[in-house]
Amino acid sequence: MVPGYLISAVVYGTLFALMAMGLTLTYLTTKVPNFAYGSFVTIGLYTAYQLATLNQISPYAASLVAFVVSGGVSALMYVGILRPLSNRGTPLVALMIATFGIDIGFIGIFGIYTDYLQARYKLVDAKQFFSIPGDFSLLGVQGVVFVAPLVLALLTLMLFLLFTRTKFGVAMRASIENPPLARVLGINVERVYVVSWLLGGGFAGLAGSLYTLWLPGGTSTGSNLIVEIFASSILGGLGSIFGAVIGGLVIGGSEDLVTTGLGLGFGYIGAGLIATLAIFVGAYLLRKKTRGRKVAGIILGALGAYMFVEMATGFSTDLFVQGLVNGFGPDVTPFQKGIPLLIMVIALMVLPQGLISIRLRRAKK
Amino acid sequence: MGLPQLVFFGVDFVSFGLGFLNFYALYLAISLSLNLEFGFAGIPNFGKVMFIAGGAAFAGSISGRVAAYVFGVGANQDFIIFNTQIISAVDAKLVTNPVFTVELVLLSILVAAGIGALLGYLSSYPAIRLREDYLGMLLLGSGAFFQVFLRTYSPLIGGAQNISVPDPYAYWSSLGTGYRDLVAALVVSAFAILVFLYAERVARSPLGRTMKAVRDNEDASRALGKDDAVIRRNILIISSAIAGMAGAIFTFYIASAEYDIWTRFAWTFWPFLIVIVGGAGNNVGVALGTFFFTLILKGLQQIQPYAQPYVFFDVNWLQDILFATLLIAILLLRPDGILKERPTPTLSKSKVSAMVNAVMSRGGGRQTEPEKISPLGLVRNKLKRLGRRREKSETAGPP
Repeated sequence: MVPGYLISAVVYGTLFALMAMGLTLTYLTTKVPNFAYGSFVTIGLYTAYQLATLNQISPYAASLVAFVVSGGVSALMYVGILRPLSNRGTPLVALMIATFGIDIGFIGIFGIYTDYLQARYKLVDAKQFFSIPGDFSLLGVQGVVFVAPLVLALLTLMLFLLFTRTKFGVAMRASIENPPLARVLGINVERVYVVSWLLGGGFAGLAGSLYTLWLPGGTSTGSNLIVEIFASSILGGLGSIFGAVIGGLVIGGSEDLVTTGLGLGFGYIGAGLIATLAIFVGAYLLRKKTRGRKVAGIILGALGAYMFVEMATGFSTDLFVQGLVNGFGPDVTPFQKGIPLLIMVIALMVLPQGLISIRLRRAKK
Repeated sequence: MGLPQLVFFGVDFVSFGLGFLNFYALYLAISLSLNLEFGFAGIPNFGKVMFIAGGAAFAGSISGRVAAYVFGVGANQDFIIFNTQIISAVDAKLVTNPVFTVELVLLSILVAAGIGALLGYLSSYPAIRLREDYLGMLLLGSGAFFQVFLRTYSPLIGGAQNISVPDPYAYWSSLGTGYRDLVAALVVSAFAILVFLYAERVARSPLGRTMKAVRDNEDASRALGKDDAVIRRNILIISSAIAGMAGAIFTFYIASAEYDIWTRFAWTFWPFLIVIVGGAGNNVGVALGTFFFTLILKGLQQIQPYAQPYVFFDVNWLQDILFATLLIAILLLRPDGILKERPTPTLSKSKVSAMVNAVMSRGGGRQTEPEKISPLGLVRNKLKRLGRRREKSETAGPP
């Protein structure tokens, strides 16, 4: 029997991979990190929720609708707001603030929409609902465990084929690599951008509606996932769609595995892993030439060593180490959101080009 | 017994004004600190909430513990579990100990400033090295993490339980309604004025001009010998310390330490909106922007009960949509904000005109009134003259 947390890690990982893929697709074209991206996930959530509760349509079918709705909203946001702004030469930071503002606008819209659902259809759980039942079951686990990876694989393959085998895909790659040159060659760069925003938003909607089968959702669910999505995207290198897929799988998998693993009573293993990681990163930093990094390396290494001593002596006088070791339980959750953040920081420090930049040694020759 | 009322159109303008002032001064301080890092130094701090919440949480946590220790209250009890009893006992003693109250508040604000500065120092590490987009994502993520951390890590402020904070205004609230708000407004206004004076001083100082130089052209300023990394780090530490202090003052005002108020919308987006509306890099503009923002927010709160019966949804949602629209509209129509960023004169206007008069009267022989030139123009002329003199001395060669 496969343990539950492994299955959960698979679902998490695939969903984050889908979301990170979409975010990267939009980032590649317009070079603006979209802070409102989480809201597209929420749109997917609510498309699935409404269709399931009011029309008894399965979230699998709803995911197609969600793809269209989220993608449409995303493309509209690009055409209606971001494109006019960037045409005016608005600096990057101001564009980021604009997407931040759009996110808050979405929060208001979701609020009104859920108020409407409550007032009109008497859906009391519209603000915060449990996962949608009715998923089929296969080999004793929920169907989404198989469907989500399958969808991810299919979409990745389709994107790969689009980029390498079709004329439009090649035009897309050209517009990403060098927009002015692509324009010179007669490629309608604007259309390419709109399509990539459409696809990017669509992936978020798709992931959101599959998400409802697995976990409870609410108006702020997507907004709260933004850390994991960014972390996945950055881990993948922010410049590569296929890197984002790997990044999402790593982030989603590790967040669930690490916290659940530690919560299951793997306290010593988990704390030991964190201590080892600290020592390794410390050793890595110690090799650096700048003094600040050396000091940080020494501090990190000392911290790891201290944690080992603390655990080995069994006195556990330190609250933090005690919390790490003592079965975590309620004490590990404070750091759950910290895991993707930590991975993001480490990725930015050690692997600024992302996972995709790692080449096998043989390829170097 | 309370403050006198001043009712027009069913609104008590005294209590409205006090609520307005409390909010205005708090957000003025926060927005000015954001303006220092974003407007002057060009660091997009999308994790502003973290620094404010950090200061608030630590001040809220430490003040209660220190007061309980000093008064010998609840020595053998868990501070978090018996929080309500301990704090109400502390409050009762604080009323009769004004000196200690002030000391406690000052100590907590100092701790909050330290926490803010520490967080600022930590975030300066990526802020120096990363591009704006990576940095924005990282800081936004850190802010979100910090909120989850506060919610789930109970030893600090009780996690999801929320704890009470000793009420330094307890004496004033015993006098009657309104006095507490009045004194709190005075305190936060004094703080905001100090921050404003400091921000203006920075703007006029060489540091302010260097920050703008680093923001506008990093390479050029580096070539001129300015260490952009140190400047960015210092300004992050300073403005984060201000944010931490603002958080501490706010937590004393609401007399509780809560996790769920620290959303990135209210504490990161709103200050950004204010700075954008007012004009980035212009402190007076930010003060104006805060005023308009507060006016809209408080005005909507007044209208809300009248509008609510007519719609099926919570009217407050419209506020979010309105702010989003306002931001986009400002960015589209007036990207520089209400007041544009201007070159800051190094001397005050009166000093410049005094110098001008001195120069003019020394000019000798000329009896006519000196023509009116703006102080800035005069400075420019003066600089030109200086440049010419230097040229002359250079061409003259060594004696």
